[in-house]
Amino acid sequence: DVWNKTWYPKAEDHVNTEKTWYVVDASDKILGRLASTIAIHIRGKNLATYTPSVDMGAFVIVVNAEKVAVSGKKRTQKLYRRHSGRPGGMTVETFDQLQQRIPERIIEHAVRGMLPKGRLGRDLFTHLKVYTGADHPHQAQKPIDLPIRDKRIQKQT
Amino acid sequence: MNKKEVFKLAKGFRGRAKNCIRIARERVEKALQYSYRDRRNKKRDMRSLWIERINAGTRVHGVNYGNFMHGLVKENIQLNRKVLSELSMHEPYSFKALVDVSRTAFPGNKNMTPTPKKEGLAILV
Repeated sequence: DVWNKTWYPKAEDHVNTEKTWYVVDASDKILGRLASTIAIHIRGKNLATYTPSVDMGAFVIVVNAEKVAVSGKKRTQKLYRRHSGRPGGMTVETFDQLQQRIPERIIEHAVRGMLPKGRLGRDLFTHLKVYTGADHPHQAQKPIDLPIRDKRIQKQT
Repeated sequence: MNKKEVFKLAKGFRGRAKNCIRIARERVEKALQYSYRDRRNKKRDMRSLWIERINAGTRVHGVNYGNFMHGLVKENIQLNRKVLSELSMHEPYSFKALVDVSRTAFPGNKNMTPTPKKEGLAILV
């Protein structure tokens, strides 16, 4: 009675070795818009076989992460905070300083905020691979270009 | 024996809730309450899942869920969301035909002329 039961994926429907790999170049792309499309593809919400409890999404490789752009004065005004847990242990840095120190963390922070928080969300986050520079070590997976439908994602110069 | 029934329902519970009657009784009562509530929630959750799947399936063809359903309503196609989501996953060509039918019936709001803005006392009317 296949038409009256809603389809639920079996184990062979979401094997990691058969998932698509996407690659996207982050240079001069607006940070939030890029992170949003990446999160949609990692979670699998663009597929008709989307299931919230199962990882049906794809892998995404981001290259040129240090060249990601933000609009307005965010480059000097956007703050990244972290707290060590001890009193007085809050560290605040600006977008600029973090980009000098660890550029990958900017995109990772943005995408992690857009993925679900929980066990599955943490697993999904491992499907994001961010690299500075234009090279990535995943040539064997033959990644294809990430299809971007947002028209305002490219920074206007 | 009510205790026997309680322990039968408490199988798989964590810690003392599966072994000790006082705790098991509380947890089983809660579990039965949750299952009552969730039999009603399941219908809502399933419909929401079908809508998400249909949305993903139609966006592949450039149409979003709202416009798609409006087009189907206009054409008096009474397929429910369960069947539409199964079609979008397993019968892609039939689903594309449905999306085309919906698109001819309702091409979307892109070509609407904006309504003229009211000024002065006309705002109150």
